[in-house]
Formats: sequence, structure tokens, C-alpha cells
Amino acid sequence: MTFSALIFLIAGLGLISWLTARARAARFDRAGRRRLHSLPAQHGWYVALWTVVPPLLFLLCWSAIEPGLVSQAVMAHPAAAQLPGFDFERQAVLAEARRLASGSQIGAFNPLAEQLAPVMAEAQSHYAWLGTLVAMLLAFAGGAFAFTRIRANFHARTRVERVVMFVLIIASLIAILTTLGIFLSLVRESLRFFSMVPVTDFLFGTHWAPQVIDPNDPGASLGAVPLFWGTFFIGAVIAMLVAIPFGLMSAIYLTQYAAPRVRRWMKPILEILAGVPTVVYGYFAALTVAPAVRDLAVMLGMEFASSESALAAGVVMGVMIIPFVSSMADDSIAAVPTAMRDGSLALGATTSETIGRVLVPAALPGVVAGVLLAVSRAIGETMIVVMAASGAANITLNPFESTTTVTKQIVDLLTGDAAFDSPKTLAAFALGLTLFLVTLALNIIALRVVKKYREAYE
Amino acid sequence: MSDPLMPELPSAGGGTIAPRQPTDWTTDAMRQRIRKRYARERRFRRLGLVAVVMSAAFLAFLLVTMASQGLGGFFRTEVALPIDFPQTGIEVDKAALDQPGADLALAGAGLENIVGSAAIAAFGDYGPNVISDNAWLTVREAIKHDPSILDGRAVIHVPASAEIDRAISETGTPEAEAAVTKLQAENAITEGFNWRFLSASDSTDPTQVGIWGALKGSFFTMLVTFLIAFPVGVLAAIYLEEYAPKNRWTDLVEVSINNLAAVPSIIFGLLGLAVFLGTWTLFGHKVGPLLPRSAALVGGLTLALMIMPVIVIASRNAIKAVPPSIRDAALGIGASKVQVVFHHVLPLALPGILTGTIIGMARALGETAPLLLVGMRAFIATPPDSLTDKATVLPVQIFLWSDEVSRGFVEKTSAAIIVLLVFLLAMNAVAIYLRNKFETRW
Repeated sequence: MTFSALIFLIAGLGLISWLTARARAARFDRAGRRRLHSLPAQHGWYVALWTVVPPLLFLLCWSAIEPGLVSQAVMAHPAAAQLPGFDFERQAVLAEARRLASGSQIGAFNPLAEQLAPVMAEAQSHYAWLGTLVAMLLAFAGGAFAFTRIRANFHARTRVERVVMFVLIIASLIAILTTLGIFLSLVRESLRFFSMVPVTDFLFGTHWAPQVIDPNDPGASLGAVPLFWGTFFIGAVIAMLVAIPFGLMSAIYLTQYAAPRVRRWMKPILEILAGVPTVVYGYFAALTVAPAVRDLAVMLGMEFASSESALAAGVVMGVMIIPFVSSMADDSIAAVPTAMRDGSLALGATTSETIGRVLVPAALPGVVAGVLLAVSRAIGETMIVVMAASGAANITLNPFESTTTVTKQIVDLLTGDAAFDSPKTLAAFALGLTLFLVTLALNIIALRVVKKYREAYE
Repeated sequence: MSDPLMPELPSAGGGTIAPRQPTDWTTDAMRQRIRKRYARERRFRRLGLVAVVMSAAFLAFLLVTMASQGLGGFFRTEVALPIDFPQTGIEVDKAALDQPGADLALAGAGLENIVGSAAIAAFGDYGPNVISDNAWLTVREAIKHDPSILDGRAVIHVPASAEIDRAISETGTPEAEAAVTKLQAENAITEGFNWRFLSASDSTDPTQVGIWGALKGSFFTMLVTFLIAFPVGVLAAIYLEEYAPKNRWTDLVEVSINNLAAVPSIIFGLLGLAVFLGTWTLFGHKVGPLLPRSAALVGGLTLALMIMPVIVIASRNAIKAVPPSIRDAALGIGASKVQVVFHHVLPLALPGILTGTIIGMARALGETAPLLLVGMRAFIATPPDSLTDKATVLPVQIFLWSDEVSRGFVEKTSAAIIVLLVFLLAMNAVAIYLRNKFETRW
């Protein structure tokens, strides 16, 4: 019996037990002598849970230990004595036997695998039937046990609700587990990396060339300073030079000047900019903007203008961030008490004077927090730089030259065929950890600023 | 200034301030000043307008560029190729053509050579360059569709080569240009809707590629993402908003959800790579990889972790918007706390929850970077049939095509982008519609 069929069978049993338990509880009710403590449906849920949960838990454990039992059975067979002693080869033969047994491979390369295949198939079906049998037994036993407990004064509701609360708590713990998982997996791989490459070489080295790593001194070509600079230059300088003026001015115009109808239309249109997938921006940057930037550089008299300039990637990234800055600025300007604006206008200031001297200074903490969040988003942005920026790690102030970023290098390092534990692939996790910590710090600072600011006005 | 509560201030000169006269706004100096201020006001206002218009113009430019480059990808040039089958000496068992093994029966017939020589016969020595390398596939389909054409001369519309395509849309090689002029004179060139683009999968030949495989991969991936992120996200939101006591634990949950929402997407790719695809040692046993590489299952799980915080935050806001009076009323007539939430609060909050979920799903649908890291960038020529098959998704397909050197891929990439944008716009439109239709002011 296949696994999915088994799941369907258990679900069917659960449904049947729900229906019968509800009917039985309802009969207690109809007797009219004693009122039920819980609704019939709650009794149904109680019995259904007892029918479904034990076999599912059992199957979860069983699927973890079954492969071990199968290979043990195969090893006990006399033919297995001829298996090669070397672990890697032994696993290869067993894997081939498994494919032969399941029918996904026809004809064996290794005669030993062909010999072991029937043994493997027999062991598999043996343990599959055993697992099914135990699961069914558990389902019936659990269901029967719960069914006998149905009484008029049985507190089914309390028990079912306890399970519901348990599920809710588990669901909310997944967020913590994800954060923990990110942190631990990054730290674990980074520690492996730093056992090969000294931390100082990585953080302060200025030479980045992962293609040619000297095995005796891997740190010499894994200095990440050029990447940090490129990330900062593209994400925090060029992109912000585009995003902050455009975002802030759009927010000011749409909140302070525009007619309601214009605002109603323009705001969603600007938000579309944020909804365009980054791969589309990347394609646009690489195909349309980058050649234009190169032509501009040639016109300005640069001889070897790069077609993978920092400027092209940064500008497109800035455009992508505009709606983000704009909506953050919008929110913080809207949070300034109207009395302050009205007071300034009543004193005779023009709207622009009110904005420049009252609203924006009052909203500044919110705007700054928005900019910090925008920076954190820009330096974590991947596809635009992967497609439009170059892989050459330069430290340069010239926006027409090429630079590379942390995210681009992560993708480049991990899409090769290098082994999982080479310094080259592990460097990606160290870069990831750095990126994670920096964006985390930016977010925490931004949220702090916003919180403090809110308290000042409410 | 004789108010006793306002003592006169001593001025710097030791005397008293002269009572202030009303400003004379009619003097030239004042008029000048006001004019200047108003001019600055107008300039500022115009600057704001420019910022809005330029942002919108950039969007328009992006969309127009994609549309003008990509629309060609939905059409293909076809060449009418006459083939005289009896003359080619083709030998096929016609009875086998109705059966599932038809491809095998035709494989031995040497269709590629037959089509090639037919092209030479029809268009001269340049002929084989006029038709696509895969033109024989179209001929094979035509034969399977109607075996009787084998008895005589048939004209079959086969896809033109990339060179001819380019010679028509822009400028091609001189030979291709000459061939096009000749073909146009013979009326042998037609433009047709490229159904293949919607029904085929990746290929090395730009005239043969399609997005069906990528769409199917996207569908499987989104299915996994939804099935995990939606229930878990909503349940977590219910717990945090309705039941959670205010203590250090729940604070920790809240902080981690808010931070997860701002973690760069590529970090989730690293997580997926390390946890789902990595191996590690547990109690001396080697465990993992937990999931098959490049599969929709692992991509969907990674994206689910990524959009879960989005769903949690949107659901919490929707649940918070349900007024407490509804909870009080339900509690008052004897409902339990679980019943209050699942019978009353949740149905009322559902439109808001769904809106947030659709927006999160739209984000997942357009996401590329984390999927590159979990290996969904393989060359997939056959669409996936299950969650564990090797698969790719539409944004990754776009990325892969954008890397191709062949010029023919440019319009295919843009065409795929159009399809992706249409899907995303549709999802966002549904979200906005839901929000407007079910928005309740309590």
C-alpha cells in the first residue's frame, strides 16, 4: 500500500469516527435525562483526534527508522557479505539495489545490486505491511478507547480545546524556530569557514578572488572589504541618492498638494513599482539601463567604460525603493499633529515653508527610520545586482566603474559545483551571516527610532 | 502694553521697545518678498509634481519596454514547406501511428533528413537555414495528426529559423534578408500565434522554448508555500492576538516575526540550503539531505518561511480590527474562547487575512534569489509531474533566459516577463477587490 493511500485511509477513518461519535453523543442528548456537557460535534472531534493523531505520529517515527530496518535485513542476507568494505561504494550499491527494487531503474550495472534487489524488495514490502498494520491498529485502538469515554458529562470540549491551544502555540513557535534556524545554520557554516580562514583576513582583507584560492592560505584571496564597499556604494549611496529625493518629494506632493482624486490614482501606481519582481528590474537594468550608462560614460570621455557599472544597478535599485521610502515618509508626515501644521499656516507661512520648517523636522525620526529600513532592503537586494553588476571586486568611488556586492557573491559562490565544505562555498555563509547581522541591526535601530518618536506625540 | 501681567521687557539699549506698527504690505520691498516666497512655493510644488511624474514615467517606460520587446515572443514566423512524401521514399507503418508508440515508429524514418532535403528542394541551398532545426518535430506532429498526407505532396507550416525571424523584425545577414524577400514574394511566410510558447518547456533553441514547464513548477511551488504558510501564519496570528499572555516568550515571538519580515530573501535561501539540503550529524548518525534538491517541495518550503511573517502581520491587523463587542457578546452567551475565535472573530477577519495572504503569495511568486540557492536553476526540458521532481519557476526561467547569449532569447525573456507581470497584477487586483468589497467600518 502506498504512503498516500495510507494517509487517505486514516483520514477516512477519522471522518467515520467523527460521524459516529457525534451521533452517539446526540443520542445521549436526546434521552433528555441529563444535559450534555459538550456539544455532540465536540465529542466527534475528540474521537476523531484519537483516531488520527496516534497513527500519524507513529508513521512519522516509522518513516525515520524504516530505512535502517530495511538495510539491516538486507545486510543479514548472505549475498551482502560480498559488499565492498568502503562505505561510499557500499552505499552506491545499496542505492542501486533500492532503485531496482522500486522499479525506477531497469537493468543493473552492478551484478551484486541485481542479486540484492529482490531481497531489498522483500524487506521493503515486509516492513511496509508491518507499518501499515501497526498504524491501523493504533487508529482503531485510539478510536475505540475514545469512543467508550463518551458520556453525557464527559468534558470533550475542554480536551479538544486543549489540543487546539497546543497547535496554536506550536504555530507561533515556528517564527522563533525560523529565526533560530537562520542564525544557527549561518553561524555553524561560518564557524567552519572561520576555522579555515582567519576572521581578520575575511573582515579586513582587501583582495577578493574566490576563483583562485591558494589552499595553503585561503584567507589571502577571501578578503571581503571590496564587497562591503560595493554593497554600501550601490545600496546605501547610489540607490538612496535616487530613492530619498524622489520618495520624499512624492510623499510630500501626494499628501500636501495633490487633489484627492490624483492621490487616489497615483498612490497605487507608485505601489506597483514595489510589486514588480526584482528579476524584472534586473533584466531591465542589464538590458536597457546599463548600455545607456556606458554610452553616457563614453560621452563623458571615459575610455574603458564598463557595461556592468555600479551606477546602472544602483539607479534601478533606487527606483525600486521609491515607493518604500514614499510610504514610510507618508506615514510619518501623517502622524504629525494637524495642530502644528495649522498653526504654521495660520501664522502666514506658505505650504512649502510649513513643510520644510515644521512638518519634515517633526517627522524626521520617522523619515530617518524609513531610510534605514530602505537601506537594509537595498543591501539585501539580490537579483538586480546579480544581473546588472559585475563580479569584479573593486574599491572605487567612480560610479561608472564596476563593483560587486555581498549578495551577488553569495549567489556566484553557491551556484558553482564546488564541494559543500570548501572555503569557497562556506565563504557564502560567512557573507550571509554578515548581511543578516547588518540588516538586523538596521531594523532594530529603525524600529527603536520609530517607537521613541511615536511616544513623543501621542 | 499696559497689561500688568506682561511686564515691559528691558531692551538692549536700556529703554523700552517701541510699540510695533502693523506691517505695511503694500511697500515694494514687502511685495517683492511675498512674490519671492510665492515663487519658491510654486517651485517646490512643481518639484513634487516632477518627482511623482518621473516615478510614474519610469514605471511606464519599464512596462512599455517589456511590452514592445516581448510581444514578438508570442508570435512566430512560419514557413510553408512543401514536402513530396512518396518521392522521399519514407517508409512508415501507418497502423502504428494511432498507437502510443507513434514517436518510436517515426523515429526510424529519418524525418530530419527528409525535412532538410525538402527545404533544399523548395528554397535552394540556403533552405536548411530557413527553417528551424526542430522543424521536423512539427512535421512529425502533422503526420501523426493526419497520416494520409504521407500519400502525396503536402504543404506544412514549420517554424522559421532564428535568423529568418531576425531578418524580418530587424536586420539580419544578407543571405537571410535575400531569403526573406524571396519567400515573401512567394507568399510562403506567415505570422501565427506561438502556442508553443505557452505549451512547451525550456530548450536550447529560442524558437522552440516555452514557459509551460516553468509555470507548472511555479504552481507546485506556490501550492507548497500556501499549504504551509497560510495555516501556520493564521494560527500563529490567532494565538498572538487572542490568547497569548503578555510575557517574555510572546515578546520574543513578536520580535522575531517583525525581524523575519525584514530579513533579505537571499538569507532564506541560505537557510533552505543549509537545513533542507545540507547534511549534519545527529547522535553519531549522518542525517540528510532531508529533501531532494531542485524540487518544488524545497523551494516551496523556503518561500513559505519567507512569507509567513507577512501573513502573520496582516492577519494580526485583520483580527485586531474586529471590535471587542463581538467577542464580549459571544462570551456573554456562553461560548468558549476557542468558539469565540473560530465561530466569530475568524470569519469576520477572513477578508483582511486573505488580502494579506494574496499579497504575500504575489511576493513569493516573483521571488528568485532564494530559489537559485536551493538549486531550482536547473535546465528543465520536461515539466515536473510531482512535488519532488526537478523543477524551475517562472522568475528563475526569466533569469536563465536573460543569461543566454543567443539574440532570440531577448524577446522570449520579455514575453515571459509579460506573463509573470500579468499574473502578479491579477493577484494584486484580486487583493484590492477583496479589500474594497469586504472592508467593514465598525
